[in-house]
Amino acid sequence: MKYLALLFLLGGFFFTFVAALGVIRFPDFYTRMHASGKGDTLGVALSIIGLIFYLAIEDGFTFTSVKLLFIVVFIFLANPIGTHAICRAAYRCGLKPWTRGGE
Amino acid sequence: MNTTSAGKTKTKRYSYFKHFSTLFLILFLFWTTLSGKLDVKHLTIGAVTSLVVVWVTLSLLRLPSGENKDEYYLAFDIPIRRLLAYVPWLIWEVVKANVHVALIVLNPKMPIEPKVFAFKKKMDSPIAHVFLANSITLTPGTITVDLQDNVYIVHALDEDAEKALTPDEGEGIMPEKVARLFQENEVEGRGD
Repeated sequence: MKYLALLFLLGGFFFTFVAALGVIRFPDFYTRMHASGKGDTLGVALSIIGLIFYLAIEDGFTFTSVKLLFIVVFIFLANPIGTHAICRAAYRCGLKPWTRGGE
Repeated sequence: MNTTSAGKTKTKRYSYFKHFSTLFLILFLFWTTLSGKLDVKHLTIGAVTSLVVVWVTLSLLRLPSGENKDEYYLAFDIPIRRLLAYVPWLIWEVVKANVHVALIVLNPKMPIEPKVFAFKKKMDSPIAHVFLANSITLTPGTITVDLQDNVYIVHALDEDAEKALTPDEGEGIMPEKVARLFQENEVEGRGD
């Protein structure tokens, strides 16, 4: 159980880190949304699942685990909607996507 | 109330009581899980709160159908059993998407070829559209930028991501799966 928790937490840290790095490295707004929209979703979800296992070391699976699971479900629903809303706003304002040829 | 097939319910007249009690039950179960206490006081507070919330939000959760504006879909009317088959597949796709993006981010050459493209997927239920748009955003290299009148505008990181969603022939796996989830592929009234 301990190693499972460790595995999930490390996975969460890794993907959150990659998302942050992606936001810095990608060339324009839309591509940056790719990094933050996907990396954050999985990163945060994995971290919270790791926490569920970590809590289960001492207490087993309780109501707290279910509540944490609700947070994961909510993030999975809300994060893509947020990404989409921001992208759509940018698109309707006429922001042109970066392309390889248009440099 | 006019049920065309299992799980997909179009409502012409308001079957008010049924929808009211369904939403109430969902909210009350949610409350009970969150509070974790089963004594009379907490259950009463939960019941009253759920009643008020249902009363306020039920009219907001009726979504007009794409074709016929007199028909409604209920936002919480999701085919649970087929959803349970869809979600594991989606989670696996999300993991693949993240590995894909991570590899691109960590690659010093940054092999991206971003492009915007549009594709059309005709579905009547607005809930199905929400599912598809969300799934597209979560999966390899694609983000739903805009959605209007069954036309999706999608931003893709590279060629592979675009081809996965709109292959040269036929239909991508994901739109097809979402449509099957909401039974939009089938002829009206056939059901399963």
